[in-house]
Amino acid sequence: MVAAPYTAKLMADLGADVIKVEEPAGDPARARGPFPGGKPHPEKSGLFLYLNCNKRGITLDLTRPEGQELLRRLVAQADVLVHNYLPWEMEERGLDYASLSQTNPRLVMTSITPFGLDGPYRRYKAQDINVMAAGGWAWINGWPGHPEEPPLKAYGQQTEYQAGAVGAVATMGALLARLKDGQGQHVEVNAQAVVASFLEMTYTGWPYMRVVAVRWGQRPIHPVDFFRCKDGWIFVLCVEEHQWKAFVELMGNPEWAQWEVFKDRISRAQNYDALRPFLEDWIKDWTVDELYRAASERRIPFAPASTMGDLLRSDHLRARGFFVTIDHPAAGAYEYPGAPYKLSLTPWELRSPAPTLGQHNQEVYGGLLGLSQGEMEALKAARVI
Amino acid sequence: MAEHGKGPLAGIRVTDFSWVWAGPFCTLQLAHLGAEVIRIETTKRICVTRLLPPWAEGQPNPNTSGYFNQYNQGKRAITLDLQTSEGQEIARRLVAISDIVVENFAAGVLDRLGLGYEDLRKVKPDIIMISMSGYGQTGPLRHYISYGPAQVPMAGFSTLTGYRHWDQPMHVGLSYGDPNAGHHAAFAILAALWHRHHTGEGQYIDMSQWESTIALLGDAILHQQMMGYQPPRLGNRDPHMAPHGFFRCRPAEPGSLPEGMLLEDRWVSIACASDDEWRALCRVMERPELADDPRFATLEARKQNEDELERIVEEWTLTQDPFEATRKLQEAGIAAFPPLCNKELSEDEGLNAWGAFAEKEHPIVGVRKHIGIPWKLSRTPCEVWRAAPVLGQDNDYVFHQLLGMSEQEVAALKEKGVIV
Repeated sequence: MVAAPYTAKLMADLGADVIKVEEPAGDPARARGPFPGGKPHPEKSGLFLYLNCNKRGITLDLTRPEGQELLRRLVAQADVLVHNYLPWEMEERGLDYASLSQTNPRLVMTSITPFGLDGPYRRYKAQDINVMAAGGWAWINGWPGHPEEPPLKAYGQQTEYQAGAVGAVATMGALLARLKDGQGQHVEVNAQAVVASFLEMTYTGWPYMRVVAVRWGQRPIHPVDFFRCKDGWIFVLCVEEHQWKAFVELMGNPEWAQWEVFKDRISRAQNYDALRPFLEDWIKDWTVDELYRAASERRIPFAPASTMGDLLRSDHLRARGFFVTIDHPAAGAYEYPGAPYKLSLTPWELRSPAPTLGQHNQEVYGGLLGLSQGEMEALKAARVI
Repeated sequence: MAEHGKGPLAGIRVTDFSWVWAGPFCTLQLAHLGAEVIRIETTKRICVTRLLPPWAEGQPNPNTSGYFNQYNQGKRAITLDLQTSEGQEIARRLVAISDIVVENFAAGVLDRLGLGYEDLRKVKPDIIMISMSGYGQTGPLRHYISYGPAQVPMAGFSTLTGYRHWDQPMHVGLSYGDPNAGHHAAFAILAALWHRHHTGEGQYIDMSQWESTIALLGDAILHQQMMGYQPPRLGNRDPHMAPHGFFRCRPAEPGSLPEGMLLEDRWVSIACASDDEWRALCRVMERPELADDPRFATLEARKQNEDELERIVEEWTLTQDPFEATRKLQEAGIAAFPPLCNKELSEDEGLNAWGAFAEKEHPIVGVRKHIGIPWKLSRTPCEVWRAAPVLGQDNDYVFHQLLGMSEQEVAALKEKGVIV
């Protein structure tokens, strides 16, 4: 799905030769879409295509002893093995670190797990929504002041992306450690702990003040809110006094802005019910882009509530060459998000689109592992590859 | 005094000009891996996170903020005014004995102080430097300022996240662009270290927080192009799993929750990824007749009848305690967990047993239960070797031991308002 593929994507995009090992049925991300015209097709899933460009792809049935043996042979030649199977799934297949490191002591094996390799939840399953809950993120997201509404999940598979990024950080740490003495090691990522590690200032409210966190938006200072413009929504963030002064000026110094009830950011929060209608009334006649630029020129950090179309049209992102066109043999040509960072000497680069299912079986099994044509035919017939 | 651990970056030094959250979150990862991170701060313009709550026992003080102390564990800190030419010179001397420089000012700020990449590579030719500004170093909007909470709507999260029945953009509950940028920046730096090891070359990394946040929405960007519109807001639902959401549980007993929590605010997240898991859920709910009900037998059917499906599941969860329900569901092989609040997080059995917390003595706030390192390395274990620094805690170490300055020199610079 997302976590381990994202770790490997980050490494592939900076030049690593990544071989993606898929079960014969294919990565579940192939079934998730989005698909061109909404028609499901295993070679046309947007999530899969995005996460797996720059990789080679092979198929392998890891539930079979022959498949496990082939993986061991592959791993013997690898620097890194990254996976997000549940802890017991790799053990049951004899593919845990203890056995794989005997084949290759230089191996860095990275296990991305929802709750860690041991501990009371080691057998627990979790999807993104469950990790968002367990890590304390869901609790602070949702409609503030509306307890009738449940906690709210953020779009996509965000806990998987972050566990994947942390997986890449920790894997690089282990690779750098290996430079000193040639020894690999086992890297374990706990996604619940990853999420708990980035809850802004809300987590420490308990150990520091015995305060239980509330949903984002129930703020002691204001305005921090979304407003409707002529053609979309804008995020108004104006909590520093100099920003508020600049905003009042931009609004043409209306009389109400001098009222005592709006004198500072705490008063503006306490009397926000009275403030919001004034702001609504003034903001509604602007376009999002005009207001965003007018505010930003005055160093007030408003932001558009961007749609995907807005992003694809952005002059700034265009000027930086952020989106890259990838032409996939089955799915066709689309623009993908490109480099998340620009390294001056070893830049992020696009070399190939995501592999079709088993696209590189021949070159990996035949080339890298040196299997004969006959052996490969037999493995294919036995549905191992 | 505590010493650095044996982490893989032992011996690597980072000069850290960054502040607020994104940059410090990047250098936190480097500190977790064993690098010596030295924060450059000044009392003339104190880091925003030192001035924000929660403060220990509610007493505002730059050294008692839980926000700062969480994200600066295991780092050193000095005070140095970079607006002075002497301060800039000392910073360059520190960079000359560093491997990595991290900064997250708006584009161009460090250049004006004589601390841009071109200046710094003169004193340390193989330096690795990353700038983590909101918009990146090039492009028409590069000089716009960018605040953490604004990155979430900027990157598109607010038009994708939200309740199905509210026509209203939503936030995601935290300044998500910041920690995301921190993770990505740390990875880019480590990749550059790898390159330096093999070639001896340092390099400059231009990172845009906006772009690194859009990198989390590849599927939505493709949805727009493949379908002609962007993914609709689904609330807590999922196109490929059902049931999938937060379900309300039995209210808590009066007096059992800390102040500020509503007795009704009890939920459990449940996600069924297959028909087997749905049938298992029917058994746990003691509703075996539903397992064969054609309205719910397949994912497609459950998606079609999702309102009714959710009503049925909630009928059961309303009779359950969220933690008890989680145990029952997980034993039956169904992904479930309650949404933990911060108090429950600090008491969570799994996180505590796994070793997710770091509790080091801080000179002013004492021992607090911070979140520690979310990964484990089997052979070169990582550890938080020290609590977050108080302002200027490492002035002696850096100015005397590392830079070899005399007592008189330092005293004179304090007098002149450089080391402040």
